[in-house]
Amino acid sequence: MGDLTANGLRIKRVSASPDPAPGIRQGPEYAKLVDISRCIGCKGCEVACKEWNELGIEPTENFGSFQSHRDLTPDTWLLMRFNEVEMAGEVHWLIKKDACLHCEEPGCLYACPAPGAIVQYENGIVDFNQESCIGCQLCVSGCPFDIPRFNPETRKVYKCNMCIDRVESGLEPACAKTCPTNAIAWGTKQDMVALAEQKLERLRARGYENAVLYDPPGVGGTHMMYVVPHGDQLEEYDLPADATATPSALSTLYGLKKLGASALGIGLLAAGLHYLGFGPEAPEEEGAS
Amino acid sequence: MRRGEIRRFTYVERVVHWVAGLSFLFLLLTGLAFSHPRLFWITTLVGGGPTARILHPWMGVVFGVSLVAMLAVWARDMLVGAADREWLRAIRHYAVHDREKVPAAGKYNGGQKLFFWSMGALGVLYVVTGIPMWLPAGFLGLGPFYGTTVNLMRLLHYVATVGGGLLLIVHVYLGTVAYPGTLGGMLHGSVTRAWAKLHHPAWDEGESGG
Repeated sequence: MGDLTANGLRIKRVSASPDPAPGIRQGPEYAKLVDISRCIGCKGCEVACKEWNELGIEPTENFGSFQSHRDLTPDTWLLMRFNEVEMAGEVHWLIKKDACLHCEEPGCLYACPAPGAIVQYENGIVDFNQESCIGCQLCVSGCPFDIPRFNPETRKVYKCNMCIDRVESGLEPACAKTCPTNAIAWGTKQDMVALAEQKLERLRARGYENAVLYDPPGVGGTHMMYVVPHGDQLEEYDLPADATATPSALSTLYGLKKLGASALGIGLLAAGLHYLGFGPEAPEEEGAS
Repeated sequence: MRRGEIRRFTYVERVVHWVAGLSFLFLLLTGLAFSHPRLFWITTLVGGGPTARILHPWMGVVFGVSLVAMLAVWARDMLVGAADREWLRAIRHYAVHDREKVPAAGKYNGGQKLFFWSMGALGVLYVVTGIPMWLPAGFLGLGPFYGTTVNLMRLLHYVATVGGGLLLIVHVYLGTVAYPGTLGGMLHGSVTRAWAKLHHPAWDEGESGG
């Protein structure tokens, strides 16, 4: 787990760690605010993401959409999804900036069995440490937003790291830096929530009465939030309305895990106590054979 | 087989048993390592986390095949009859070595048969729930539902692991220190007449079944 505390980053949670992270010092919590109503669909953020993070180039294809690629990949951490939806006889682009939302309650981190492979910092960034990843992909099924992508060659999982190397140097993430319309804002979570309120007010005044801030409480809020103009159509944006870090199957599992290993320990203990109490049962004339 | 002893298990039965047993032990230990951070060190014994993750499902294939082989070898012998049900009703007397109150067992007693079928059922559960975890991304083209599927499979896989682990503890304890002379049957294939008379009084040695 080496250099996790380098450059003043403070750890909040570590995957598969039996002990709580120290969390003595409190730092500011950052967030991205994506104002979908201001997005012009230029995909500059996609390019900036690839450039800054030195991710491999993947050929685009025309599949009947303005979208650059069909899906996120281990080399594509950010994809602008151009969801085409018909409303009142007109086609609308319900664009979604598809990338890690950096949940306050990270389902990936909770699902991860490898110590230190997923880390959450006090600033809200959830990062994957590929050197500790065992390639099990349980983070993929633990993520309520279907974000992490597995690379079969390296047998590791990858996703947006919120340009953590920029953030720790006091810079904003590359996508926010490059956005020509300021659709992607960057600041403390508190400031971004306040900014969202102003944006929502303006949107409502312009007739988007269903506009909402997407900051799902099921994952404790996120560190990438969206201002959604058509808040009544979250599903069409591909934004789950009931996202949760602990679906019932997993919360049951995590509860049982507190007992499971102990049950086996008690089983061993019981066998030992039984032996001490009743001893071996061997045929009389031969003794042990 | 040792001179003067009676045949308990054939060569094929012993091979099948140990393939199943050792693969299960590997699966149990690596599975426990994945299940709890304090047990993750176990992965070091098999070459580290990524190696354990690669080997676990393949060892599952070995275990699954051995499960089918065990069924082929033992299913007929393990059919549960009225005598076995009577034996199982007296299991609490058996547990405290109160032999007079336990009905005479044949080649396999009711408890062994119950162990066989429980382990078989758990084995099927391991394989069925393990496959989606092995190849989760895009499993069966389930799309957004595969996450939900894998999460449910994880829960069932874990419950089965604890159940199987407890069964293994009982099995190994009874087969070794609790009943001396038993392990030899599974190693060199034979047991003494005195052992057979004590543990399986109604065993007709002429037959394979019980």
